[in-house]
Amino acid sequence: MQRPSPCRILIAATGLTALFVLAPGAFAHDSAPAPIANGASQVKITLTGDNGGTCILDHTIAKAGPVTFSVTNKTATAITEIELQSNNRILGEKENLAPGLPTVSFTVTLGGGAYQIYCPGAAQETQTFTVTGQAAAAATGGTAAILADGTKGYAHYVDGVVDGMVTAVNRLKVAIDAGDLAKAQAEYPQARLFYERIESDVEGFVLPGFKATNNAGNLDYLVDMRASNLDPKVGWHGFHAIERDLFRDHMIGSNTRTLAAELQANVGRLDKLVKTLEYKPEDLANGAADLLEEVQSSKITGEEESFSHYDLVDFAANIEGAQQAFAFLAPGLEKIDPDLTKRVQMQFAAVTTLLDGYRDPTVPGGFRLYTAELKASDATKLSRSIQSLQEPLSKIAEKVATAH
Amino acid sequence: MPNDDKRTSETRHPHLRFSRRGLLVGVAVGSAGAAVPYATAQPAHGDAEDRIDLARQHAFYGAAEQAGIRTLPQRHIFYMTFDLTSPQRRDLQVLLARWSGAIAQLMKGQTIGQVEPDRSSAAGFDTGEALALDPASLTVTVGLGPNVFTDTYGLAGQRPALLRALEQLPSDALKPEFTGGDLSLQACADDPQVAYHAVRDLARIAKETGTAATRWTVMGFGRASAGKGQATPRNLLGFKDGTRNIREDADFEKFVWVKDGPAWQRHGSYQIVRKIQMHIENWDTDRVSDQNNVIGRHKISGAPLTGTEEFDAPDFHKVKSDGSPVIPDTAHIRLAAFENNDGVRILRRSYNYTEGINQFGFLDAGLLFIAYQNDPAHFETLQRKLGAADALNEYISHIGSAIFFVPPAPLEGSYIAESMFA
Repeated sequence: MQRPSPCRILIAATGLTALFVLAPGAFAHDSAPAPIANGASQVKITLTGDNGGTCILDHTIAKAGPVTFSVTNKTATAITEIELQSNNRILGEKENLAPGLPTVSFTVTLGGGAYQIYCPGAAQETQTFTVTGQAAAAATGGTAAILADGTKGYAHYVDGVVDGMVTAVNRLKVAIDAGDLAKAQAEYPQARLFYERIESDVEGFVLPGFKATNNAGNLDYLVDMRASNLDPKVGWHGFHAIERDLFRDHMIGSNTRTLAAELQANVGRLDKLVKTLEYKPEDLANGAADLLEEVQSSKITGEEESFSHYDLVDFAANIEGAQQAFAFLAPGLEKIDPDLTKRVQMQFAAVTTLLDGYRDPTVPGGFRLYTAELKASDATKLSRSIQSLQEPLSKIAEKVATAH
Repeated sequence: MPNDDKRTSETRHPHLRFSRRGLLVGVAVGSAGAAVPYATAQPAHGDAEDRIDLARQHAFYGAAEQAGIRTLPQRHIFYMTFDLTSPQRRDLQVLLARWSGAIAQLMKGQTIGQVEPDRSSAAGFDTGEALALDPASLTVTVGLGPNVFTDTYGLAGQRPALLRALEQLPSDALKPEFTGGDLSLQACADDPQVAYHAVRDLARIAKETGTAATRWTVMGFGRASAGKGQATPRNLLGFKDGTRNIREDADFEKFVWVKDGPAWQRHGSYQIVRKIQMHIENWDTDRVSDQNNVIGRHKISGAPLTGTEEFDAPDFHKVKSDGSPVIPDTAHIRLAAFENNDGVRILRRSYNYTEGINQFGFLDAGLLFIAYQNDPAHFETLQRKLGAADALNEYISHIGSAIFFVPPAPLEGSYIAESMFA
């Protein structure tokens, strides 16, 4: 059998077994497979603080079939999680392991072959776990397939959002062309929210023939640039230049009409581009995380809609986009890490509940204006709610990226 | 009893070791003036060198109190309170266990997890800014607020007997944004980045587990209290603070540690925190004779107005030729003295703070007052008197407040307050 690392002596904390993990080619210390109870092989994993953190398996061999790993952290302050891996893919795991907490367990069905027990933070992080008998008939494939389905569903969602954006921007342009300031002001937030739902997917689009460093070819710049990051060489285009005319200057001029026509053309380009996109599961996770970063960096501060104060419309749209991406991952993530799935679901629910308190159907876009007073009184509360969502959400990408 | 032999031995036999970085910071205190006797002349209390050994570390686990109370005050603090955001008992258990394991790592000067994980899609576990920094005597002390002990967590029956919200006290000018909290972390270290890193990473665990969210925080510098053998430092008023602080073991037993109730509460203590803003521009223009009368001490020496040396006992009965008291009736030390408060004493472990410049253009600074006592009523007794009559009130405002029960240290293999869940 293959051993991943040089000789190392581990002492079982149970006192039952002295466990020698030997160099490749040597015979195993304990050739007995794990005992079977309740129809599953039973493997105990004990974490101790010895040697700066030690992960001890009472058996390193099991027969093919269901295997239950029971994990107890006795004294290992440096180890908080453990994973069962096959070629760097996570098959099962336990997190939030800390000294004093009760034993936790997980069960997986394994075919014959070599697996790895990964204990990040231990002096020896990876140990081999061998399963004897028939290899699994087909690659388990389940979770990866479910996640792949999710990414297709998400792609469909993005297409729908961009279609909605095309329509809403057309309505905005019609109002601007007609010189109807009130109508244009009301249409503006209706168009914004579509962009804010999916902006993480369209960042970095460069039009053909332009360099990545040239903002004149950067679609996100042309559509969504704010006053704070203007490139003087390229000038101000897109939603926020229109916002300035409609909400700061309260006028529609010939330049406003030019801006609206440009925006319509660029959104049309986006529409074509997104339909060619394919997503990996981690793209959804990273996109959701990026949308939350957008909330923290430009909505909470009131910088996004500094003239119109429709920041909460954008805020809600960012959250909706992130929640959709997460929802399409959830069926697969549930299989990898149900606890994390539940935590993220709870935090999304908390944010949504919080946002509901700001709804106002009498205001275009459906949310209260984010005035200086509202910002002063509520920014902390809003930001805190997002932070509580960001931390668990940031754990998702690595899980789905390695799914089997 | 102290929970750590190493700690006491270092306390009793201060010695110098070179840290990994070879950095040893020595600061001579009390050198501001020589006309009046000062602390270095007092070997019983003075530490002329007042050196920092960044390699020093304290133990987290133990059989008595948590570190960070009796521990000799370090130079810097990062203090934060949290609101519980989960109604699940298990989430609270997981958070306290995760915090305990992480604090044990941090106090050893180690990371709490991978800084640069193997998998490129993973976010770092430890934020990394304390890599290669020494332990710097870090202590992180965990406090449990009144809302922990409710039916929500099945802990109403475990509430420490004297834990309750503080009563409203005279001159309270509390602002909601600096008040309250369900959990507290007091991180003290001789390197401010070590203290900051500890609380930052522990706050991440709170958010990641969905159990708690940050409420308010103060970063303090320049310890404004002394432990046994340390020279008395100065607060931002320029006066020595804590000359009559608790130092002796017998006084800790009498005034600081909780001695009764369930076993898991013994060697606990009540932590009371007050954010005290100082109107320092006004103070700085006050004539020094008035400053001395406000405090009741001489500024440089720290001696009471009735004495010549810092540790002279104040004579509250001494009068001038015109019959008025030498230490005025409204002097801070008169109102706070145990002689005038039925013998009540509290352990103070405060730090100076600054938060820049306020909206009116004034320096925004003050004292993060932290007190430990075995009955919150002791603090109330003192502050009721001070808040009503202290001449210092013209120059300070109590703008923040919170109270926590600080349970004893866990034994290795356990976590903070594990027994209350049994």
